[in-house]
Amino acid sequence: MAYLSMGESHRRITDYLNRFADAINYQDGDSLARLFSVSSDSPFLLSLADALNVFQDANRLIKQSEKFSQFGEVVAPFFRSLQSYRLGNLVDAYGAFEKASNAFIQEFRNWESGWALEALYVIAYEIRVLAERADRELASNGKSPEKLKGAGSFLMKVFGVLAGKGPKRVGALYVTCQLFKIYFKLGTVNLCRSVIRSIETARIFDFEEFPTRDKVTYMYYTGRLEVLNENFPAADQKLSYALTHCCLSKEANIRMILKYLIPVKLSIGILPKKQLLENYDLVEYNNIVEALKRGDLRLLRSALQENEDQFLRSGVYLVLEKLELQVYQRLLKKIYIIQKQKDPSKAHQVKLEVIVKALKWLEIEMDLDEVECIVAILIYKNLMKGYFAHKSKVVVLSKQDPFPKLNGKPVAS
Amino acid sequence: MMNQGVNAQTVAAADPNSLESRYAINASQGQAQSYLPSAPGSEAASRTVHKVEGYPSQDGVPANASYQHVQQPEPHTQNVQDGSYVAPLSSSSSTGTASAPQDYNSYTSYSNTTDPYSAYSGYYNGYQQQTNNQYSQQQPNPSYSQPVEAYQNTGAAYQPNSSFQNTGSYAGTASYSTTYYNPGNYQTSGGYPSSGYNNQPTAWNNGSYANYTSYQYPNYTSDTSSAYSSVSAPATYQQQYKHWPEYYSQTEVTCAPGTEHLSAASNSNHGSSLPSVSGGYPTPTNQIQPQSLPPPPPLPPPSLTSTWRPETSSSELPSMQPGGAASGAPNNYWNQPAPSFQTHLAAPTQPIYQNSLDSKTSYENFQELKTAPQGLNSQYPVVHQVSQNYQSTLPTVPSFDARRVSKLQIPTNPRIASNAALGIAKTEKDSYAANSAPKPAYISVSVQKPNDKMSPNNAADPMLKPTMLPKSLRGYVERAFGRYKDDDAKRAACEAYMKDIITEARADGTLYTRDWDSEPLFTVPDSLSISKANIQTPTHASIPNYNKCPVRRSKSRWEPLAEEKMLEKPVSASNEIGKYGSWDRKTFSGYSATKDNSLSSFRFSGSQQRTPSKSAQRPMKRQRIVNGTGLTNNDDDASSDSDKEQSLTAYYSGAMALANNPEEKKRRESRSKRFDRGQGHRPDINYFKPKNAGPANLYTRRASALMLSKSFDDSANQAVEDIDWDALTVKGTCQEIEKRFLRLTSAPDPSTVRPEDVLEKALLMVQNSEKNYLYKCDQLKSIRQDITVQRIRNQLTVKVYETHARLAMEVGDLAEYNQCQSQLQILYSEGIEGCLMEFAAYNLLCVILHSNNKKDLLTSMSRLTPEAKEEDAVKHALAVRAAVTSGNYVTFFRLYKSAPNLNTCLMDLYVEKMRYKAAVCMSKSYRPTVPISYIAQILGFSNAADGNGEQELSGLDECLEWLKAHGASLITDNTGEMQLDAKASSSTLYMPEPEDAVAHGDSSLAVNDFLARTS
Repeated sequence: MAYLSMGESHRRITDYLNRFADAINYQDGDSLARLFSVSSDSPFLLSLADALNVFQDANRLIKQSEKFSQFGEVVAPFFRSLQSYRLGNLVDAYGAFEKASNAFIQEFRNWESGWALEALYVIAYEIRVLAERADRELASNGKSPEKLKGAGSFLMKVFGVLAGKGPKRVGALYVTCQLFKIYFKLGTVNLCRSVIRSIETARIFDFEEFPTRDKVTYMYYTGRLEVLNENFPAADQKLSYALTHCCLSKEANIRMILKYLIPVKLSIGILPKKQLLENYDLVEYNNIVEALKRGDLRLLRSALQENEDQFLRSGVYLVLEKLELQVYQRLLKKIYIIQKQKDPSKAHQVKLEVIVKALKWLEIEMDLDEVECIVAILIYKNLMKGYFAHKSKVVVLSKQDPFPKLNGKPVAS
Repeated sequence: MMNQGVNAQTVAAADPNSLESRYAINASQGQAQSYLPSAPGSEAASRTVHKVEGYPSQDGVPANASYQHVQQPEPHTQNVQDGSYVAPLSSSSSTGTASAPQDYNSYTSYSNTTDPYSAYSGYYNGYQQQTNNQYSQQQPNPSYSQPVEAYQNTGAAYQPNSSFQNTGSYAGTASYSTTYYNPGNYQTSGGYPSSGYNNQPTAWNNGSYANYTSYQYPNYTSDTSSAYSSVSAPATYQQQYKHWPEYYSQTEVTCAPGTEHLSAASNSNHGSSLPSVSGGYPTPTNQIQPQSLPPPPPLPPPSLTSTWRPETSSSELPSMQPGGAASGAPNNYWNQPAPSFQTHLAAPTQPIYQNSLDSKTSYENFQELKTAPQGLNSQYPVVHQVSQNYQSTLPTVPSFDARRVSKLQIPTNPRIASNAALGIAKTEKDSYAANSAPKPAYISVSVQKPNDKMSPNNAADPMLKPTMLPKSLRGYVERAFGRYKDDDAKRAACEAYMKDIITEARADGTLYTRDWDSEPLFTVPDSLSISKANIQTPTHASIPNYNKCPVRRSKSRWEPLAEEKMLEKPVSASNEIGKYGSWDRKTFSGYSATKDNSLSSFRFSGSQQRTPSKSAQRPMKRQRIVNGTGLTNNDDDASSDSDKEQSLTAYYSGAMALANNPEEKKRRESRSKRFDRGQGHRPDINYFKPKNAGPANLYTRRASALMLSKSFDDSANQAVEDIDWDALTVKGTCQEIEKRFLRLTSAPDPSTVRPEDVLEKALLMVQNSEKNYLYKCDQLKSIRQDITVQRIRNQLTVKVYETHARLAMEVGDLAEYNQCQSQLQILYSEGIEGCLMEFAAYNLLCVILHSNNKKDLLTSMSRLTPEAKEEDAVKHALAVRAAVTSGNYVTFFRLYKSAPNLNTCLMDLYVEKMRYKAAVCMSKSYRPTVPISYIAQILGFSNAADGNGEQELSGLDECLEWLKAHGASLITDNTGEMQLDAKASSSTLYMPEPEDAVAHGDSSLAVNDFLARTS
């Protein structure tokens, strides 16, 4: 850190205070937002932080003038937060920032219009980011990371400020998305439910009026929730919405959406093009798609095995695992087609032994009972039309459309 | 007119009572005989005594009764009432001794059958001593004895339990009464410290007066009316009585329930855990009471016995009583108030009176009840007086008032009356204090709430009591005491002085007219000031009462629920204590009872003037107890659980006792010994809480204890966070290997906690035990508790939890298993070795099969290390998971058969679901039929792999049964083999409700089943 004179420090601090006062007086949300973004590491704020470390008595400056002292409750803790942040003390930075935010929220509550929403967004974002970093710091010190949780409850409060009627409601979805991020990170996804309810039941406000950015994020997270619940049609709808509204330039975001959308689509019988997977670096799905196409059970299993950790972490493992039945269906269909080519009149009768043999070729050892069970399940789940004759151990397929396509409907449970 | 009508009613009411009483008598006798083979002799003796004594006392009482007549407008009706009641009462009082032994006997017998009782009996023993002491001392006071006697009756009826035991040994019945007396007033509270207490409050809370009536009323009527009438001979008394009527009609009813409620309340509260026990309980009480009542109808014991027959005792009696109660009780209940009213007040006003006074009455009731509990000894008397005064003043309600006042004065001999009243009050208190060691504990607890609500009360006060007279007087008294709150001696003096003033005032008739506000000592006896005083001096019992009352009053009648909340804690607390007390016989008898009692009673026997000193003495005992309570109560949750806990233990113990008596006894003895030892330690425990440690001054210490308990109870538990757990961690000294689980409601007592090496032995013992799961579960829980309180976290801890988890799994006790599992996960994550893999597998299975939470499943799966996935158990669990998610029933049942460790047990719980799914699937995909034998084999009904023909057959049958039970349609094909008609079945399959469904989800833990297995 270069030497910083007292005077320069004083100048920088007063400069910040002036900007702060101006932003509020002119109701300039964007400028105000910039003044809050601690973690943006903007040169202006960094230099201010240095100045604060030199000029220890910033509070006196704030109190000195009538103009600044009214913001004291916001600015004083914010200065402390900035100082701590600059010194790498993130836990303290978070604590002070939350204090400043709290004071700001109190002010914000009283403002009629939503001019300061931008600033609020920044605060909500900073709260989350600082909390995450503070938790990392805590965890590395062997303490229990709890700041993110605290950030969650703080944002709930912010959400409460915004969720009512009026112009500020537009901001509610942004806060909701920050909350989602926190809850997904913490693994407490069930907490999302209350927020979702309040967003979706508010009839006075059309969902479409929210900013697109927030809508996409919101749909992405709610889509993921539906994936967890294995409610595939809903998941498909939400994730597709997110995908179609997502800015094309945000490839990372599109990839994140596709990561969930592809398994969902697969499970309702829609396969992606290989190009798509490659474009968005989702090659882990390649083999799975291939297995579905070929009816190759072994390939599916190995693909799952290979990327197990990844799939488990993203939460799509169970979804992908369920594709097994579709692979069986594909396999049987292949057998059926081959039989048909050989002898069309007997094609609709598939002997169990044939299936067992086919599986054996795939190096999958299953005895008659197991295969019989699989067949029964296929029929039961309507992946195959027909019946199984136990006495003769033969699958009798319907002559019409023996292997119905899913066509966007999920496999019956 | 009204009066007469009412009277008639009362008379009629009396009949039911007598009937009931007869029954009861019979029952009791029968019991005694049946239970105690050796007892008969004693019984006979007691009988004779009974009669002999009964008559004299009767004679004495009648005089009182007549006295009353004179006083009261409607002598005849009254006479009838009195006569009938008095006689019984007197006899009972005198009989006190006689009946007591009997009951006691029955109790002992009970104890054998059911544990809880034994505990009580022990407790009673302690009690007896107390009684004795008091007894001897009381005799000297003839004047007292009478009132006492009257009360005795009440006491006898109510307190049977407590007083009984020793009674036999006592020479002087009269003194006996003292003990009882308190109970009478305080009713149950006094008598039943341990169990009764809890119940009482509960009953109260419930606010179902009807219930109360039904149970106790019979007894009560007799008690109240007779006891009171006789006693009330003194004018003042009657005055009080007036208040009392209401008090009684309501309070008593309530109280009665309290006593009896043991059964009822406890049952309801505990969710029927105590069925047998509770049943038994009421019986004794009733029986006892009956005895007191019966004399008039001379029923030859033998004949009764024969008619009624013996074994009934526990089971039958309960049932009977309710019936009797139902019929007679309501009448009594209503009647009672009426008579009292009439006598005292002009009948017409009744309704009004009730209404107007309702709140007040309840208030008073509360006061009485509460005061007693509060356990501020020194203040006690004062409070009492105050309340009395207050009561008299209450009437201030216009029309009513005048009448009242006039009547009050009519009684004549105000001085005597007042004295008597005071004396009684004193006695009550004294005996009360002396009697119920447990009570004090209760007291302390109860205080807290009121304090909390003080401010609201105060606010409410003015509204409720437009007439400030009583308050002013009370305020006056309180002020007086407030000044000397730190000095016992001065306080006592003040008390005496106070009494004089009040007596004087009463004598002058200026009690209500005098302006207490402007009386020298005080200026503004405002509710506010009082409340302030209260806050400042929590020691001041009277204040809490005061405050409490309003709250109560407003809620008692109409908001039973709220009340319940308020009382709940105290109840549980008392419960706890009661239990505690019951077990350490010696503690109570030797410690508090003997010493303090003797002291207090000594004083007591002395003249009234001495009472102050007496009161000063009281703090000592209370103090101790209070401290104990504070300790016991510091955990809110725990204490609230204690109810359940108690019932559970009682149930367990009962069951256990049934199973193995001698062993049980031994254990119990050892436990009681343990508690004895514990006594020594208790004082030490105090220093854990710095607040308690304070000056040696008993008084302040008590105060601090009070504060403590208060803060523990309701000050949002902030204290809990500040507790230094290291300081609280105990080092166990108990050497007993076996220990029953009892949820802690206080800081653990090192003498009841087993050190690690003993715990290891205990674990081994449990592991090798042949006993059933409930026993093992109980033992393991106690081991876990000891481990927790000593903060042992090592391999032993893991072993204990693992053992318990496995046992729980074996019987399908998922709740217990989950507790263990979650603890184990923490322990494993701390790096303590154990069967990590095995339990990882269990955890997986549990998530898959029983929680069906995808998120949880994903997290627990992602947590598995690659090595873990190679482990057999984990592999198996993962395979099961796959089978379940894909619905592959064939794989599932194969895995079911090849399950390692106890995976089978967890899968067991899912088998039914899986089978049903399979059946549905098969019926849809198979055509035309599926052979049953195949289904049986696939769905794990038979061990086909064994190739054992016989087994296969049984599996087939089982499968058939199962299919039929689930609505499958079966046909027989031409080869004679049973087939499942798939098409027909596809629409008829259903999941039947499990027949043996029980609330806790596991029929193997059903009570009946359990009892059957243990016996």
